[in-house]
Amino acid sequence: MSGVKFKVVHYINQFFGQIGGEDKADVGFSKKEGPVGPGMMIESLFDGWADVVATVICGDNYFTRDVEGNARKFIEMIKDYEPDLVIAGPAFEAGRYGVSCGAVCNAVTEELKIPAITGMYAENPGVDLSRGNAFIIKTGNSARNMSKDLSKMIRLALDILERRSADSFLTSDGIGSPEEYEYFPRGIIQNVLSDRTAAERAVGILLKKIRREEYKSELTLPRFDDIPSPAPILDPAKCAIAVVSDGGLCSKGNDAGLSGRGNAVWTTYPIEDFFSEDKGKEDYEVVHTGYFSVDVLDDVNRLVPIDVLKELVNEGKIGSIYPLYLCTSGNATVAKKCQVMGEGMARKLSEDGVDAVILTST
Amino acid sequence: MKLQIEHFRIESVRWSSASRLEGRTLFLDIEELKNHILEDERIQSVEIKIYRLGDKARIVNIMDVIQPRCVVGDEGVDFPGFIGPICLAGSGRRKSLQGLAVIVTNPGTNRKYSAFLDMDGKCAELSKYGKTINLCIAPVGHADVPETEFEFAVRRAGFKTAVYLAKCAGDPAPDDTEVFDLDLPSVSKEKSSLPRIAYYYQLYSPQHDHRGISDPCFYGTDISYLLPTIVHPNEVLDGGIVGHSTVRSLDTYTIQNHGVIKELFRGHGKEFIFSGMVCGVANMEPLQRKRKAMMASSLLKNVLGVDGVILTKIHGGMPHVDVAMVSEESEKLGIKTVVFVQPLVSQGSLAATSLFSSEMVDAIIVVGATQEKIEIRFSPKEIFGGTEGTHLFTPDPFTQRASDELIVTEEFLIAGVHDHTGGARVIAKEY
Repeated sequence: MSGVKFKVVHYINQFFGQIGGEDKADVGFSKKEGPVGPGMMIESLFDGWADVVATVICGDNYFTRDVEGNARKFIEMIKDYEPDLVIAGPAFEAGRYGVSCGAVCNAVTEELKIPAITGMYAENPGVDLSRGNAFIIKTGNSARNMSKDLSKMIRLALDILERRSADSFLTSDGIGSPEEYEYFPRGIIQNVLSDRTAAERAVGILLKKIRREEYKSELTLPRFDDIPSPAPILDPAKCAIAVVSDGGLCSKGNDAGLSGRGNAVWTTYPIEDFFSEDKGKEDYEVVHTGYFSVDVLDDVNRLVPIDVLKELVNEGKIGSIYPLYLCTSGNATVAKKCQVMGEGMARKLSEDGVDAVILTST
Repeated sequence: MKLQIEHFRIESVRWSSASRLEGRTLFLDIEELKNHILEDERIQSVEIKIYRLGDKARIVNIMDVIQPRCVVGDEGVDFPGFIGPICLAGSGRRKSLQGLAVIVTNPGTNRKYSAFLDMDGKCAELSKYGKTINLCIAPVGHADVPETEFEFAVRRAGFKTAVYLAKCAGDPAPDDTEVFDLDLPSVSKEKSSLPRIAYYYQLYSPQHDHRGISDPCFYGTDISYLLPTIVHPNEVLDGGIVGHSTVRSLDTYTIQNHGVIKELFRGHGKEFIFSGMVCGVANMEPLQRKRKAMMASSLLKNVLGVDGVILTKIHGGMPHVDVAMVSEESEKLGIKTVVFVQPLVSQGSLAATSLFSSEMVDAIIVVGATQEKIEIRFSPKEIFGGTEGTHLFTPDPFTQRASDELIVTEEFLIAGVHDHTGGARVIAKEY
């Protein structure tokens, strides 16, 4: 560390800012030079390494009425201090305070590109709502153990400030693990070096599992919602059927901007035009890096079976084909984003009176 | 089956008029080696260079990396089915050069993905091949040789070079000898209180086949439709199974030094009984997947009779499903399983990156996120295996060139960083 002290800005709510309790929760922003309330303890825990140069105080109700706007306002209020670090809270179990602290920290990390640390109890809704680049230290549910919780925050702060320019393995930023520093994982996955090879770790876990000893899987699988199948359609001859595919079949040029992997975009194409018989291989492109697309480009009906559907309409076996083909590329997209796309598609289809959907994948 | 690998440590390589090993210096007659490669009529010319750590060189269009090895005596054939006649691999004496690797490039490739390596900077720091002396070959084909045909020729040139180099070692005493001695029939009869452990090796996925043609990687043939098969682990270590033609964190060198297989040899007879292995592939169709998962788990249970199995997978998303199904079917039969996975994205929680969901698959090893983005700043003075204009893959847009000072890439495209056989210490963690 250099001889120059680090500059810290602290965010707290009206209660810890000594303005008042719930009755003062509507009070707006105010700013004081130097530490206030828990800021005193923060400064003493830094033990000469850092000064709390300013404290920003805001009422919980006021802040949460416009979380994003107020986080931006906070940035405007503090950027002239050129701080090295922002600390918010800790918010313990207080929900609105937690959401405010999380928003402040995320905005600071993204816009000022400096680290930001807050602290919350596991059940604070702020933990899930503000999970991002900010560090949220796991604290108790009340200010009873304030000094212990603050020490955890300062310990991480010093570690981050020390390592900011350090070189480290792979793309890791060199910051200690969530277990070591007791923070909630930020939703960032990084490659690091283990002390053992994957093979050694695998043998270790397998032997424990066989001996029925306790072992720790390196990944715990998520539990997905159990979605019951809808009731079958009774008379296809009266139904409008839509076709949705995640095979990434687009018009040449990919004007909707799908990505071949980790895609989060879906689009629609009018079927009459898109599957017109005048079209050839050169009019299409497959935006998907997960499969070999030559067979689809040879005949797009192999992925989206419009030819067969048209025959079925002519034979009167199905009512009609919904006139739009819904298109996306499904390849290594995280489940949450898939869910958002799925909801969007379902809303569109349901609003347009579609009775049933054929989903084709690769 | 007993395989004895004698290691010779190589610390420098020099050109000479007669190829030989003196101490730890390998003297090489480059003309003799070139002529040896040019015996293949499909190859018109070949460039050969040696690079080591610190050289300002970028090696591109890498198709394979191979450890120099050769047969000693009359037991066995070098890379059977690839450059030698069909013959069972895995028994006999072998010479192996340590600290030296053959890097095989194909300057004329049309493949969208191929690996690269810098001999200095971040790449060299991350890659195990940043630490080896690398003899690199770049064969150029005659104009009338079809693309796939020439790829086979390039792969063969690599194996022939690896054997040629090992043969230079002559007959001094090795620096170190490894013995892989496992008599599976007697192991299966042995009464022991130790648990019996097997290995399930998913060794191919046809999903990335170039122009729909599978790469030969099993005794000279392709195996996209392979039914689960029992092989002896020594066959894997001894060139019966080689890398496919895009590296993707699984080249021949890595397979010759297979992480899980070597680890299972290490603990055999002490902590557990290494009771054999099953090879399988990832499948494109659900029915095949189900059929082969059933067969693989049955081989593990009813033929090998094991208590536990470690399952590894090949690069890619879809192969997760196959390996998880083999695990699930095995658990149903009472076999404890540990499964390797690779997160495909670098955002979210590890749980959210999983591509399967099964309560039975409850012991998972997270090898590195092979597709983690990485920025490489390096100004190569020399580009081998391509030209300054050679494309280096980047997701979008595909405009990066080999001579660019800043390369944004994904780690699986750098040879020697990740290792699907479990030999590397990389782990992906949540932060």
